Amino acid sequence: MRRLASPEIGPSGAGLIGWDEVREQWAMAFTLKTGLKVSPLHLLSLCILTAQAKPPGMEAGRAHWAFQPLSQPRPPEVAQAGWLRNDIDRFILAKLEAAGLQPSPEADRAALIRRVTLDLTGLPPSPDEVEAFVNDDSLHAYERLIDRLLESPAHGERWGRHWLDLARYADTSGFHNDLDRPHAWKYRDYVIRSFNEDKPYARFIAEQIAGDEIEGADETSLIATGFCRNGPSNDDNMGKTPEALAQYRADQMDDVISTTASVFLGLTLGCARCHDHKTEPLSARDYYSLHAVFAGTERLGLPKGATDARDKAVSDDARVMALIETKPDAPPTHVMLRGLAASMGDEVLPAAPAVLGGRSLNPERPNGRTSMRRGTLAEWIASPENPLTWRVMVNRVWQHHFGAGLVATPSNFGLSGAAPSHPDLLDWLAARFMAGGGRLKPLHKLMLMSAAYRQQSSSHARGAAADPANTLLWRMNLRRMEAEVIRDGILAASGNLNPVMGGPGIKPRIRADLLDASQRNKWPVLAHEGPGEWRRSVYIYVKRQLLMPSMELFDAPTTTDSCAMRQRSTVPTQALVLMNDEFVEEQAGHLARRAAAGAREDLPRVIERLFMLALSRAPTAARLEQALAFIRERALSAGTEEALRDLAHVLLNSSEFVYIP
Amino acid sequence: MTSFTTRRHILQKAGAGFGALALQSLLGREGLLHGANPLSQRAPHFTPKAKSVIFLFMYGGPSHVDLFDPKPALAKWHGKAIPVWKKEDAFMGGKTKNVAMRSPYRFARHGQAGIDMAEVYPNLARHADSLCMIRSMHAESNNHGPALFQMNSGFIQAGRPSMGSWVTYGLGSESENLPAFVVLLDKLGAPVNGALNWSNGFMPAAFQGVPFRGSGEPVAYLTPPKSVSASRQRARLDLLRQWNAEFAASNPAETELAARLGAYELAYRMQISATECTDLAREPESVRGMYGLDHPVTAHFGKSCLLARRLVERGVRFVQVYSGGNEGPKAWDAHDDLKKNHDLHCAETDGPIAALLDDLKITGLLDSTLVVWGGEFGRSPVAENGKGRDHHPKGFTMWMAGGGIKGGQIHGATDEFGYAAVENRVSVPDLHATMLHLLGLDHEALTYRFMGRDFRLTDVSGDVVKGLLA
Repeated sequence: MRRLASPEIGPSGAGLIGWDEVREQWAMAFTLKTGLKVSPLHLLSLCILTAQAKPPGMEAGRAHWAFQPLSQPRPPEVAQAGWLRNDIDRFILAKLEAAGLQPSPEADRAALIRRVTLDLTGLPPSPDEVEAFVNDDSLHAYERLIDRLLESPAHGERWGRHWLDLARYADTSGFHNDLDRPHAWKYRDYVIRSFNEDKPYARFIAEQIAGDEIEGADETSLIATGFCRNGPSNDDNMGKTPEALAQYRADQMDDVISTTASVFLGLTLGCARCHDHKTEPLSARDYYSLHAVFAGTERLGLPKGATDARDKAVSDDARVMALIETKPDAPPTHVMLRGLAASMGDEVLPAAPAVLGGRSLNPERPNGRTSMRRGTLAEWIASPENPLTWRVMVNRVWQHHFGAGLVATPSNFGLSGAAPSHPDLLDWLAARFMAGGGRLKPLHKLMLMSAAYRQQSSSHARGAAADPANTLLWRMNLRRMEAEVIRDGILAASGNLNPVMGGPGIKPRIRADLLDASQRNKWPVLAHEGPGEWRRSVYIYVKRQLLMPSMELFDAPTTTDSCAMRQRSTVPTQALVLMNDEFVEEQAGHLARRAAAGAREDLPRVIERLFMLALSRAPTAARLEQALAFIRERALSAGTEEALRDLAHVLLNSSEFVYIP
Repeated sequence: MTSFTTRRHILQKAGAGFGALALQSLLGREGLLHGANPLSQRAPHFTPKAKSVIFLFMYGGPSHVDLFDPKPALAKWHGKAIPVWKKEDAFMGGKTKNVAMRSPYRFARHGQAGIDMAEVYPNLARHADSLCMIRSMHAESNNHGPALFQMNSGFIQAGRPSMGSWVTYGLGSESENLPAFVVLLDKLGAPVNGALNWSNGFMPAAFQGVPFRGSGEPVAYLTPPKSVSASRQRARLDLLRQWNAEFAASNPAETELAARLGAYELAYRMQISATECTDLAREPESVRGMYGLDHPVTAHFGKSCLLARRLVERGVRFVQVYSGGNEGPKAWDAHDDLKKNHDLHCAETDGPIAALLDDLKITGLLDSTLVVWGGEFGRSPVAENGKGRDHHPKGFTMWMAGGGIKGGQIHGATDEFGYAAVENRVSVPDLHATMLHLLGLDHEALTYRFMGRDFRLTDVSGDVVKGLLA
């Protein structure tokens, strides 16, 4: 084993082993399944990873795969053409064949409808929907199913939630005071609506970055700039001196710059704030050139109780939380040496990172009202000449459908990110997405119609031995539901899900003794829940200081930074919340009563309905026998109704319930 | 060390407890079973000095030059630039200037060994002869997130197993009813990085740390609703176990499914054992008083320390106790006013830590328990904002006591300003290697195979620091 410690270089040894090895190690750590446990902190820590490594040169940067224009790959020829459903499958199968692996058979109909319904809407299919689909053997049944789901309003709630992770959405400011942000929810609703409307991606980007200065700016697009405002803020606690305020403003700006670069471009530009990036061809000058884009912005609609004098004038009666400009001239921007507002370096003009061409982001068409720099940035991000934007977004969609991205580091497409497992497929999808006007619904359909997506998720020995991480997709990945999907799925099964959309966040019951954890802006103590709380989890008030335990324990994001990929932990504390939460207990009771309604005498029929409601499939003969025996035994001491509640509770806790098949 | 590379190992390993039996019979029929439960006890590499660890983590970075490493030179140079300081050492650049700052605290020598300690740790001072001060620690990052990762997992990025996971992996658990690796948080919540600080990284989920909450129920939703009796719950779990085991067996590549089986059984047992263990009312009034449970300043950390003792007593392998949480200056992160910050945090921790050491001595547990105190880095010898100190990883102090440690000594030294560790330098991997050594584990032999490479907690460096050992 090489010894890397050295007093000159420091024990990290990065300077000795060199940039390539660091990158390799980094990428490797992501490649396996455990690499799914990624948070933005990965990206953050990358900044520091190679303190002594030489930054990669511009030449290496320009040659990097992700910075190349989209190629126009032809779907490859394959031997087993009979398996193909669409061209995605050619790319997948070609790699499987090269590795001597077989794809898995198609999942059964019940699994398929549960999978695709959960993926597109975050809700399980109803028993009627399952039955209709299972019995519909027409050629287009599956396609019609996808079309129907894409038009469901629940689709925006599901995919909006994915975007809210990226946008570090919360309803409070965080830090000690954790102030209420009374208008934050409007951004959440905007996102949900945008996904339901299938807003072209370029427009979606422009509204969020420059909603006040684009064509057709209105209240909706103003709300969209909440994207730039969702990060934590600590307005009253960062000092009052001009120096401290300037530094605080720079810190707030950094949240916007880092998030914008990572979400839309898959770049870890935030690391270049204090010095040239150590592992990417990104300089501090690049960072501040983007800073210049936002230099003239002001915050509209501050949290209740915030008293920042500079923004107060516009905060009091604003009905939105936005980032706006009110003057056509932005102040000059200088590089801040080592990230310090007080250490002024060269002046910079708004521009794209040099490695991506360095295009000036000074507007060609000033509008006289604002600097139009953000509008110009949005245009550049969404321009066809920018290959990152399209690759990054299709990869995000792929990741949520398949359980892992084609690029395993979804918000890092830089040199330190993972290499794509199927580079041609990524480019092919990105080109399709761009050519299709940046509409996501056709992209979903394309992926879901593939044979690759329709495979069984169960494993076989040969595949597991050859490709344990399933990088080549010889089967579908089995995926644990996200926190929200578990809670929503329970409500859907019990029949209590209140489908009302939008509006201020809801505060479901949390055990009173858990509420001590937050001192400010307290969560109410609730004795009973009702339809007002039984709404979809995307509407739960996101309080940074006190996340709902059933969300937090199942790895909902902490909202401090953009979250591109949730952790997927398996710990006893999750079992405790599903076992013991009054919510699950009550809903199990509702589920049991729902299954028994009108069929109480026919126990096998009740059990069958319980299974259909909870798992979208009928029990096997063996399971039915076991369930019957369980009910009979439990009924002796507790009565049939309570016994059925027990069975319902078991089903809601079962792995089959919490894993997407 | 056994390598747990195969799915079968992992699957089987994760099926601990009640569920293990059902799972074993299922897998046994299919000839899948061999190897041991991941949390069952495993023999160390050699005779250990300690069986368990209590790591008192002062999150935010306590100041070595104000607590354990007195620097008269800082008083002499107070208000002046010191020659060793470099601009790039500052984390908070504009605020931190090369202006030496004297400590606001008086130091005195304590114990027969004459260990220097600041006046803000008067109770801890009683234990001077048990403490081994390591004044020559150095780490690699001056930012909380990466520095926490390094102290916890040896590596400044996320994704590696934390040391609690490594120890549990190496030795298994002595308790069947409590997690092997427990994390006790500050009342302010988790430090930055959150759960990644006690992550199992690329190891199976069974090795993940389990946080016990600071207030209310120690574990959220530890008790069932009133309507659910113990027998009723058991009946449900029996059926659940059977169905979950079958589901896990039909998807052997998904190791999480097996981990989930184990998680339910452990959760079930924790309801009784964690409730019993965390019920501090069971302790005599004198013990509660000793830990400062009746005083608002010490109550929280005192509870954590008392709980740590009770956990270790019940066979928990690795307990990490955090002082300081969340992301603001509420932790030991004394940017603005060092005295105000450290007055508070020392007051919160001094009595409880002294009580813990007393208690471990009285109960005889100190011989088999390694107590470690420290943060993710130290603080700058120069001032930030006039009265505060910045992050500083180039030289800082940690101390250890208990199982296998030679107490009453000072190991290593920083330069005259407390700027850099210069004598008998101890890196984080050295610290980790030494901790593993005391637990009977050879840090070079404790490997975990992942993606074709044998990983170590100490990666490719680390030496056992012999001078620390009794």
